[in-house]
Amino acid sequence: MAPPWCLCWALLPALALALLGLAAAAGPRQTPALELAEELAEELWSAGLPGDLPELEPECRSLLAAFAEGSAALTGCLGRRARPVRLCQGCHGHYRRLLAQYDSIARAVGNSSESHNCAKSILTSDRLQIVVTLSEFFNETWEAANCANCLKNSSEGLSNSTEEFLDLFNKSLTCFEHNLQGQVTDLSPNNYTEVCKNCNETYTRLNDLYNHLQRMNRQGGESAHSAHLCIDVEDAMNITRKLWSRTFNCSLPCSDTVPVIAVSSFILFLPIVFYLSSFLHSKQKKRILILPKRIQSNANLVNIQEKYS
Amino acid sequence: MPHIPQETEVPRQRPNEIPHNEKLLSLKYESLDYDNSENQLFLEEERRINHAAFRTVEIKRWVICAMIGILTGLVACFIDIVVENLAGLKYRVVKDNIDKFTAKGGLSFSLLLWATLNASVVMVGSLIVAFIEPVAAGSGIPQIKCYLNGVKIPHVVRLKGLCYKCPSVPYQAVPTGGLASSMSCPLPSLLFQIFEYFRRDTEKRDFVSAGAAAGVSAAFGAPVGGVLFSLEEGASFWNQFLTWRIFFASMISTFTLNSVLSVYHGNAWDLSSPGLINFGRFDSEKMGYTIQEIPIFIFMGVVGGILGALFNALNYWLTMFRIRYIHRPCLQVVEAMLVAAVTATVGFVMIYCSRDCQPIQGSSVAYPLQVGNDTEQHSGPCWLFCADGEYNSMATAFFNTPEKSVVNLFHDPPGSYNPMTLGMFTLMYFFLACWTYGLTVSAGVFIPSLLIGAAWGRLFGISLAYLTKGSIWADPGKYALMGAAAQLGGIVRMTLSLTVIMMEATGNVTYGFPIMLVLMTAKIVGDYFVEGLYDMHIQLQSVPFLHWEAPVTSHSLTAREVMSTPVTCLRRIERVGTVVDILSDTSSNHNGFPVVESNPDATQVAGLRGLILRSQLIVLLKHKVFVERTNLNLVQRRLKLKDFRDAYPRFPPIQSIHVSQDERECMIDLSEFMNPSPYTVPQEASLPRVFKLFRALGLRHLVVVDNRNEVVGMVTRKDLARYRLGKEGLEELSLAQT
Repeated sequence: MAPPWCLCWALLPALALALLGLAAAAGPRQTPALELAEELAEELWSAGLPGDLPELEPECRSLLAAFAEGSAALTGCLGRRARPVRLCQGCHGHYRRLLAQYDSIARAVGNSSESHNCAKSILTSDRLQIVVTLSEFFNETWEAANCANCLKNSSEGLSNSTEEFLDLFNKSLTCFEHNLQGQVTDLSPNNYTEVCKNCNETYTRLNDLYNHLQRMNRQGGESAHSAHLCIDVEDAMNITRKLWSRTFNCSLPCSDTVPVIAVSSFILFLPIVFYLSSFLHSKQKKRILILPKRIQSNANLVNIQEKYS
Repeated sequence: MPHIPQETEVPRQRPNEIPHNEKLLSLKYESLDYDNSENQLFLEEERRINHAAFRTVEIKRWVICAMIGILTGLVACFIDIVVENLAGLKYRVVKDNIDKFTAKGGLSFSLLLWATLNASVVMVGSLIVAFIEPVAAGSGIPQIKCYLNGVKIPHVVRLKGLCYKCPSVPYQAVPTGGLASSMSCPLPSLLFQIFEYFRRDTEKRDFVSAGAAAGVSAAFGAPVGGVLFSLEEGASFWNQFLTWRIFFASMISTFTLNSVLSVYHGNAWDLSSPGLINFGRFDSEKMGYTIQEIPIFIFMGVVGGILGALFNALNYWLTMFRIRYIHRPCLQVVEAMLVAAVTATVGFVMIYCSRDCQPIQGSSVAYPLQVGNDTEQHSGPCWLFCADGEYNSMATAFFNTPEKSVVNLFHDPPGSYNPMTLGMFTLMYFFLACWTYGLTVSAGVFIPSLLIGAAWGRLFGISLAYLTKGSIWADPGKYALMGAAAQLGGIVRMTLSLTVIMMEATGNVTYGFPIMLVLMTAKIVGDYFVEGLYDMHIQLQSVPFLHWEAPVTSHSLTAREVMSTPVTCLRRIERVGTVVDILSDTSSNHNGFPVVESNPDATQVAGLRGLILRSQLIVLLKHKVFVERTNLNLVQRRLKLKDFRDAYPRFPPIQSIHVSQDERECMIDLSEFMNPSPYTVPQEASLPRVFKLFRALGLRHLVVVDNRNEVVGMVTRKDLARYRLGKEGLEELSLAQT
């Protein structure tokens, strides 16, 4: 296979030069230049030149296009569902498709030769490696959002518990809305007693369910990373709680100050009693001095002091 | 000086009983025998062993070091796992209880529960320490330091001590480097059961320093730091081969810890979790420092030195009080329990009073056990600590194991702590830690002081960022690290080893320079006020500790003034009865006896011939090596060095040896058992000279002779340790029975 290789290497700089020249000459008219380059590549290709040409094999090209569309769709989905967070519910289909597309790129083998498959030419032939970067970004986002937690094991659709939670969540939101509408006439911004009374049950159930889910999750997953529920659920709960306790002021601070102060001052008082009593009643430990056997032993220190004073 | 005449009068009627003070030397402590007795038996044995045998001895040394490393690593793993689980359990129980009672009211019950739980857990640990093994108290570093200095601290390197220390440690949930190292030190004695050749104080000392290094190395994941710790704090006698062996031991211990913990955490053979206390990665890009920050770091060092000195001074008074008044074991246990209860109460009240609520943003909560109506909270009619969906950041600081809190302080993103919270936390924790150190529990000072330092360092960083209008470089995590270094340096006054330990624990070599500056400043500033915590405690324990040098102004003192006299000497061929009487005399509990010529006539003076130790005499008496019996061929075999070694390290007391009335009249020939060439000094030698000889060679007895080679006195450790440079020049400590 040596001759085609050499030819290829010899041709490459020339090709690059040609392309550069073309691009420079083209200036603003980029599209024609690109088209020209494509045509040139096409020609070279039909001339039977295998190798690392500027153009992909057609199969690879279609794979790449599919990936590009997939990632655009996923990005759009993620962006649209950023606030309030609905990533896992809305985009898991896109994500799954994108994974499959990436997989097919990584596994695809072009038909020209085994060493020049699509995986190589798309994924690793330049410094930027944009496809890899994109797919890594999506994977990391997905991991960080912990979406796997709310999806079924086969990651087709939401898991039952998540569905249940979201149902309840919607119910409580409806409840909030419903009760607020009745209060519009009231016009007192801080008086949400109606909401608190009527929606307490739903809210409590939602909260309990959330805690339950969390406990289940913590028992299931051993590492610290999977300790979180998926972001959709977490965010939904956070929103509800914030509404409940901050906006509606439904949960009021309760104070237990008097007994706490009593008990703590009692405990803090104990050491004082202890130290005082041991100071007063405990016999102070005395040390028995031993007189050392020494020549003029007791005058020593005086000697020293005389010498240095 | 008007008081001098009085003083010369007074000594005769000096009161025999005085309250405990720092200017005492206890008779309880004895020296170790580092000097090799080159008697006839030794020479014979050396002749018998060929060259190859010596090589196996060398290999055995390496094997022992490896075993020390492995065992240390395993012990550290055990502590780590038990502490993690116990602390988790404790916090979970308290938290569930608080959750329950927040809904119903009656929070005082949860406070009581927390306090009782703390107190009872501490009680178990304290009971063990107070009644069974007093040596297990504290961090263990002072004890190890004394041991390596040559003072025999009873039980410190016994396996029994380890056995009691192990179970008592986890209750405090504060595993520190010192603890780990002090726990690993007894390990060598376990190995002595197997390797009989090394049953000598000299060998044991080497292995104990390896154990100390391995302990630190396991605790912080800092093998080099461990070696340097052993060098700085402990080993008084050092050589290159020893260094290399000790380094080997510390590496092995880190490796063992790594591999076992990796299996425990479920990712076997991933060796990237070094040390029990991991400071986490410090990104050099985000947390880099510039030259402008160096003065700030130095200033932090000054603050650390002052705070450390304050800590030590407070602890000094407390310890003095404890020694004088709280000496009964039951009182000690009660005190420990009270401290535990108060600690819990203070924590609770702080959490209760704190209104520093941070929103839970999913990932910002590192430890799942937060108090407050947080993610796993109920939906009660009211909220106590924080509203739903928020957590109490004071609770994260208190409701966590100290190591985790330290790491949080280093690495939490800016803005996770309220300055008010940090300030209160530092203040409270400072006093609590000061109060805790010196209790009869196995709790050290390393981690608490790191925590205090990290808290005020972070506070410092936050205020710096505030002053500079939020500059990029003022990352509070970096200042938390420097604060931790400054505080620890200010308290324990370690320099070289601490720098390297911090460097290795953070995994960032570029921090070496600022950490060194911080520690240096902290030491200089701290030393201006009081001495380091460990030295202080050694002094308060009345340990005859020999520093590197004699006091500087002591050249005019001569051996004649320093030595003890008269000396109990033995004749070369001595009557058994005399020997037994001398050994049984409780008033003069000597350990070494100069051997003089047996029958001096008019022409010959009783010159010094050698030195024999109490332990040797006891072995001789036990085997009844009497001249008469040898003449009658009653002795089956000649005594070998092995017989002396087998008795090590617990020689039977003289009372347990039965000598009949007839045998008392026998004679005993000491000439082949005594050390024929003991070190001697003339009477005129100055104190620094005597000191140097004594310290450098690790002697236990130094005989003072006159110019006719007659024994006139004996210098021992206590004679030298008496002289100390005090505030008013040279001062002399008194001996006391404790």
